[in-house]
Amino acid sequence: MLASFDTHLFWEVLRSEPYWRGALLAVALTCASIAAAFLIGFPLALGRASRQPAVRIVVFLYSWFFRATPTLLLLLIVWDVIPQQFSVFTHNWFTPFLAAFIALSLNEAAYMAEIIRAGLLAVDPGQELAGRALGMKRWQILRRVVIPQAVRIVIPPTGNEFITLLKLTSLASVISVHELLTAANEQASVSFSYREVYGAALVYYLVIVSVLMFLQSRLERRFTFRSRGVGRAPVGLAAAAHDAR
Amino acid sequence: MSDTVLRADGVHKAYNGLQVLQGVSLEVGRGEVKVIIGPSGSGKSTLLRCLALLEPIDGGAVALEDQVLSGLRERELAAHRSEIGMVFQRFNLFQNMTALGNVMVGLRDVRRLPKKEARERALEFLSRVGLADKADSYPEELSGGQQQRVAIARALVMRPKAMLFDEPTSALDVELVREVLDVMEGLARDGMTMVVVSHELRFAHHVASSILMMDEGRVIEEAPPEQFFSSPTHERTKRFLALVE
Repeated sequence: MLASFDTHLFWEVLRSEPYWRGALLAVALTCASIAAAFLIGFPLALGRASRQPAVRIVVFLYSWFFRATPTLLLLLIVWDVIPQQFSVFTHNWFTPFLAAFIALSLNEAAYMAEIIRAGLLAVDPGQELAGRALGMKRWQILRRVVIPQAVRIVIPPTGNEFITLLKLTSLASVISVHELLTAANEQASVSFSYREVYGAALVYYLVIVSVLMFLQSRLERRFTFRSRGVGRAPVGLAAAAHDAR
Repeated sequence: MSDTVLRADGVHKAYNGLQVLQGVSLEVGRGEVKVIIGPSGSGKSTLLRCLALLEPIDGGAVALEDQVLSGLRERELAAHRSEIGMVFQRFNLFQNMTALGNVMVGLRDVRRLPKKEARERALEFLSRVGLADKADSYPEELSGGQQQRVAIARALVMRPKAMLFDEPTSALDVELVREVLDVMEGLARDGMTMVVVSHELRFAHHVASSILMMDEGRVIEEAPPEQFFSSPTHERTKRFLALVE
C-alpha cells in the first residue's frame, strides 16, 4: 500500500537536532580533513620531484599504502587497532571524531598530493625560468609565481575531492561518529518512513554541495588573473558565463 | 677594448650526449651590441642561457666584469643573475601579476626595496617602454608587443650590466615587431651592453657593433655589420644570408 508523503514528518526531521548536528559534524570533518590533507599533500607533492631518492621512495610508499587501503578499513585501523598497540590512544581525548579526522586526512592526502603535483607541473616552466633569470630564489619563485598559478588549476579537482570526502564521512558511523547519515538511519529504524527521513538527509547534502559550488566559483574567479571582474560582477552570472566558455 | 662586460671562453655544453655548444668564445665590451644569427639548432639560445647563468656549462668559463661565475653554486648564482637582464622569446611574464607587479617583483624580492620605492621605480621603467597606462593590466590582457615591452622593463629595472635578448620578436605579429625593436634601439643608443639573438637583419645593420654567425655549436664568423653583409667570408654565412633576406 502506498502511503502519502508525510510533509509534517519531513519538516520535523529536517529541523531535528540529530540532523543538523550530524550535518554540521560531516561538514566540520570534511573541512578539517581536506585542510589537513592539503598540508600533508603539499610536501608530498614536492617530495615526488626531490633529488633525494630516499624522499621519493617515502612519498611513493605513502601514496601506495593509503591509496590501496580501503577508507573503511583505515577508519577501523585508526580507531580499533592503534589503541590496542599504543595505550596513549585509549584515553578520553582520542574521540571517534579525532580518529575519523586522522584516517580521512591521511587517506585524502595521498590523493591531494597527486592533484597538487599536477597543478605545479601545469604551470609553464617559462615562469620559473623568468624568475631565476631575475635572481629570485627557488622558494620565492614557488611562493610568488608558481603556487598562485597552480591554485587556479587545483581548485576544481579539490572541489571534487571535497564532495567525495563529504560522502565518505558517512563511513565514520562505523566508529560511532554521529554524522548526518547515521542520524537518518536511526530515524528510519524508528519510523520506517524512508521517503521522508532519507529525503530530509538528501536535502542537507544538496544544500551543502550547493554552497560549496558557490564558494568554488568565487575562489576560481579570485585566482583568474584579469583586471576586470575581480569580485565585481554578480557572482552567479559570472560563474555561469565562465562555465559556458 | 679592455672594458669587457661579458665574456665566454671556450664554452662547452651538451644535452643528453648531444653537443650543443662546442667551444664558443665571445667578448662583449661595455656599450657594445652583439647580434647573433644562425640556423635553428646552432646553439644560439643555449649560448644565451649559459651567459645568463641559467644553465650549468660542461667546459670553459663565463665571466661578468672579469669575475668568473660559471661553476658557482646555485645559491651564489641567484644574486649574479640579477645583474644580467634576460628577455625571452615567449615573454614569460608572470601570469598572476599585473604589468606593474611584474616589474616590481625583482625589486621587492631580490633587491629588497621598500614597496613604495619599488613601485615608483617600476612605474618609471614602465613609462620608459611607453606602458605606464597599462600598469594594472594582466599579461593576458596585453598584446604580444606590449608583453615583450613589459618584459624588457622587468629586466631593465634591475639595472643590469648587460641585457640578453633571445629572439625577442619572433613570437610577435608582424605589426608588433617595430614597437619592441624601437625600445631595443633606444637602449642601444643609451649605451646598454647587449647580446641579441635575432634574425631582424635591418635592426642588426642599424645597431650592432658586430654580428656573429653560429653554426653547429660554434661561432664561425664575426664582423661589423657592413663587412658582415657585404663580404661574408664563410660559405655557410653566405648561404644563410641568402635564405634569410
